[in-house]
Amino acid sequence: MDEFIQYALRGIPFGCVFALVAVGLVLTYKTSGVFNLAFGAQAYVCAVVYYVAHTEHGWPIWAAFILSVVIVGPIIGLILDRFLFRHLRTAPAIARLVTSLGLLVAIPEAVKIFFDESSVTSVVGVWPTDEFDLPRLYRVFGYDLDGDQLATMVAVAVVAVGLGLLFRYTALGLRMRAVVESPRMTELNGINADRLGAFAWMLSSALAGLAGVLLGPLFARLSGNNYTTVIVAAIAAAAFGRLTSIPLALLGGLLLGMMQGLLAGYLPSDSVFTQGLRPSLPFIALFLLLLFWPGLRSKAEIRDPLSGVDPPPPGLAALDRSAFMTWGTRAFGVVVGGTVFFFLMTALSNYWVLTFQSAVIYSIIFLSITVITGMAGQVSLCQATFAAIGAYGAAQLAQQYDVPVLLALVIGAVVAAVVGALLAIPSLRLGGIFLTLATFAFALMFENVLQPLGWVSGGTRPVKLGRPSIGPISFAGERSFLVLCLVILVVVSVLVILVRRGTTGRYLDAVRGSEVAAASIGINASRARITAFAFSAAIAGLGGGLLAVQNGQARPIDYTYFIGLFWVVIVVSLGARTVEGAVNAGMGFMLFPIFLSQWLPGLLNIIQPWHEFGPFPVGLQFVFFGLGAITYARHPEGVLEHQKRKSTAFTERQLDRFRKEPPAPPDENVPPVEPALTPAEP
Amino acid sequence: MGKHPRQTGTRRRLAVVVTGVTVLALTLGAGFGGVATATDSGSTTTEEPAGGWPTVDQPGVSDTDIRVGGVTSTTNATQGRYDTAYDGVKAYFAMVNKAGGVYGRKLKLVAERDDVMLKNKQEVQALIDQDNVFAVLPVANIAGFSGAEVLQAQGIPAFGINYNEEWSNKDAMFGDRGSLCFDCPGIALPWVAKKLGKKNVAVLAYAVPQSKGCADGIVNSFEEYKGAAKVAFTDTALSFGNADFSVQVDKMKQAGVDFVTTCVDQNAVFNLAKEMRKQRLDATQYLPDGYDPEFMKQNGKLFEDSIVSTLFAPVETKQKPAGLKKYIKWIKKTGGPVTSNSITGWINADQFVTGLGLAGPDFTRQKVIDGINNGPDFTANGLIPPTDWSTAHTESDPQIGCPGAYMQVAANGAFKPIFVKDGKIFPCFDNDLASVPKNPLEYEG
Repeated sequence: MDEFIQYALRGIPFGCVFALVAVGLVLTYKTSGVFNLAFGAQAYVCAVVYYVAHTEHGWPIWAAFILSVVIVGPIIGLILDRFLFRHLRTAPAIARLVTSLGLLVAIPEAVKIFFDESSVTSVVGVWPTDEFDLPRLYRVFGYDLDGDQLATMVAVAVVAVGLGLLFRYTALGLRMRAVVESPRMTELNGINADRLGAFAWMLSSALAGLAGVLLGPLFARLSGNNYTTVIVAAIAAAAFGRLTSIPLALLGGLLLGMMQGLLAGYLPSDSVFTQGLRPSLPFIALFLLLLFWPGLRSKAEIRDPLSGVDPPPPGLAALDRSAFMTWGTRAFGVVVGGTVFFFLMTALSNYWVLTFQSAVIYSIIFLSITVITGMAGQVSLCQATFAAIGAYGAAQLAQQYDVPVLLALVIGAVVAAVVGALLAIPSLRLGGIFLTLATFAFALMFENVLQPLGWVSGGTRPVKLGRPSIGPISFAGERSFLVLCLVILVVVSVLVILVRRGTTGRYLDAVRGSEVAAASIGINASRARITAFAFSAAIAGLGGGLLAVQNGQARPIDYTYFIGLFWVVIVVSLGARTVEGAVNAGMGFMLFPIFLSQWLPGLLNIIQPWHEFGPFPVGLQFVFFGLGAITYARHPEGVLEHQKRKSTAFTERQLDRFRKEPPAPPDENVPPVEPALTPAEP
Repeated sequence: MGKHPRQTGTRRRLAVVVTGVTVLALTLGAGFGGVATATDSGSTTTEEPAGGWPTVDQPGVSDTDIRVGGVTSTTNATQGRYDTAYDGVKAYFAMVNKAGGVYGRKLKLVAERDDVMLKNKQEVQALIDQDNVFAVLPVANIAGFSGAEVLQAQGIPAFGINYNEEWSNKDAMFGDRGSLCFDCPGIALPWVAKKLGKKNVAVLAYAVPQSKGCADGIVNSFEEYKGAAKVAFTDTALSFGNADFSVQVDKMKQAGVDFVTTCVDQNAVFNLAKEMRKQRLDATQYLPDGYDPEFMKQNGKLFEDSIVSTLFAPVETKQKPAGLKKYIKWIKKTGGPVTSNSITGWINADQFVTGLGLAGPDFTRQKVIDGINNGPDFTANGLIPPTDWSTAHTESDPQIGCPGAYMQVAANGAFKPIFVKDGKIFPCFDNDLASVPKNPLEYEG
């Protein structure tokens, strides 16, 4: 028993790290209605400010702390509220989640443009150090703690108590929650919702700053990725607190830390079970909590009751244009596409062939996001996992059992579809952000538990996957493989369009509009969503398999959860509702870095002679696409689709001018039309 | 190719002697029909043949220059930066060009490509199609190099940092070390433990394939070479981002661990060191990737007495080999940083120029490849242990001969070379597994 307690207690200091982050996530959700995946990015910015002030400019620790936590943190919150989340209060929770996803991608990359991570070391803790400049050690109840751990524990206690008091005993706390529930109703009562919302964001952002500074000494180097990792692990603790209870989130964090201590203490490290379970404990916990925690099962999302009066999102631009425009657009597309294809097949180098190959393959993968997000209205963060399942499945079948590559790709897609359906069944009662978090937990579990296994990914030797062939037709050459990828893209696109126009698509439209109303007319929402999940997973699996064929092997690094997040960001920012949007995203994913590094500087150097521009940082693409995703709430159809609607409307107006021109002068040979007979006036 | 995969000790020593002679010849500018090379005191150029240098009809080669380009991970959001490898290449090329270049041609690094989101296959293709390079160097990324197949298929010599399986079994690919064998046993670590008088070893690794494979290799080494120390604690189920080692260190204490080996990243060894200090575990950490002067400068006290190993002679080496002296001189001259990646870039460039020398004035890509593979062991003028490329491409050949250099970390973060004998920075072992006794005591380096 002593040993049990000892292992459990050893996990408490690190549990406090989870607790601090979980409390921050809960505070943000409670006071803004946003499940803020960008919390870690905000923490990272404040840690950078602290580092620069203290380490690079020699400010005292207290001054650097005040600057980063008390000044910069709240300012970031104020900016986010003023320019972003204030306008999203009545948006669906999923739209707010996507917005925070965009920030998660954009903020660290924007910081890196000005702050070179590679030259920094770790952040100095706020607690006084000993004579060797090392964290001071303290003996507490027989255990050694260092100053940094003690600082985190004290901060967690103060924050939890302070926030508990704020929400339980003050009118301010009640009003902050009310503004989240319905800003319009609270404003009817004379409360300034904008001001309260801004305060809530400043408070939660200050907490992000506190977490950023206190967590800094945990990492050997100050890096945005490190913060993301900790935040992801702490989501389970926030879920334990039902995203709204600060004491439960605190307890969840501590329990998580203690569980890790106990598992490390008792489980043998050389078993496959342990090697999967321990690294993925937070994600397994999150997945199980989302499925079975009573507080979450019956939980309704924070949603403005008056949001029903908001107008529905506009229809697709393609549906609004005239037949002339439709044919004109298609003809233009055929001419441009045909020209590019002609040059790819005849003149352009292998580099461009490979680039377009990749763009086509990613377009196929991105169509899976079109299905699940654009059609079913759900955000899945495990599309990269489905792609990985398809890739590993196909590669293992081809390598181990000599299954023909094309058949292996199809079987891999089927396996991904089955996994997608199985994942959807228990997750369906969740919905909204909870379903999204479940997919996220699944992605992390797969990455930690299954992917490292040799029979899945090949372990240290990635599984090889050769080029396919059909009878005498070989696709070993880059151009022929491009043609094959294009054919598959066309087939998948047609399937997606057919499904969207067919029964399933209409059912999904109805369910997305109102699940209750859909049920009242006999639509089985669960079946429609399971179909969507399976279909989406199959597409991702097929695309993942093609990616492995292109690379010659299924590389785990191509399917990480972070890459999956970026895929979602790029698709929703460019257009998640149309096939065209997915293709645009695929092209953008491959061509935008080339634009930044080659075309843009070249263009600038041509049009102006006074400054020689070099390649722009390719990291800018993350910033652009991340910022694109934050427009999701305002333009859920995607930025390009929005622009397309505007340009279509403009073109139609111009065409109307020609159509409404005065009629030609009458032909003299034609007799004038007699005026109609009218009754004689009395 | 064609040699027996495991050379005898005599043959290896002979190869080292041949290499030494070759290096001397190169340094004097007399080797391989007129490669111009630089010496520390200035430059020496072989006189141009009476009829001038022969015309070479190869991609990326003109009468005035030889073009090369590289691909590294620089802005990749999912992994680290490796672009300082370019600085090493630039420094080496600056040295060679100052001495007149190679066969009357200047060496030009014309492209520094960034593989962004792991698009290294496309970037390699761009080096071939757009940048028209003769060879590809440096290549530096940690997470899979899908461009390897393209280079091998087209017979383009490539030089880079070898972290992955893709570098194995390809005779056109020359990493900074021979093919990796993650879980092969080796004499080196048991020998280090023995030299330090350590008895009980801990092995920690992440639950991911490469890390776990590395841990298996360490465990296998101590099992194979008994008589040094025994593995008393293993944990190969760590997760990325884990900063809590309290239970592990507690168990290490109970097991009497005095030597801690890890296959983890810098975050983990950093937090492990803090926990060891907290729980007052008197053990030495072995850090295979710990050669990071800036990091150690800040954290020297935490890592005091830890053992760091490198694949190359570190700049702290007292009796510096010629290659190291040149590196230090030219990296300063060209303003590049002293990092392990920039040293590797330098080694890659040296390997390339050596290959050109071996290929002769009418060089082709294939001649460069064949020259290196059939030539003497490569040492980058003493900067790295000898690599025999007739065997080093195959994974089955454990390159146990001279695994690297060893240093001890001082309290101020400085690195102090250890196990140096007669001025030799690399302890070497017989490369014939069959003749290796099971007791590491018999090796004195």
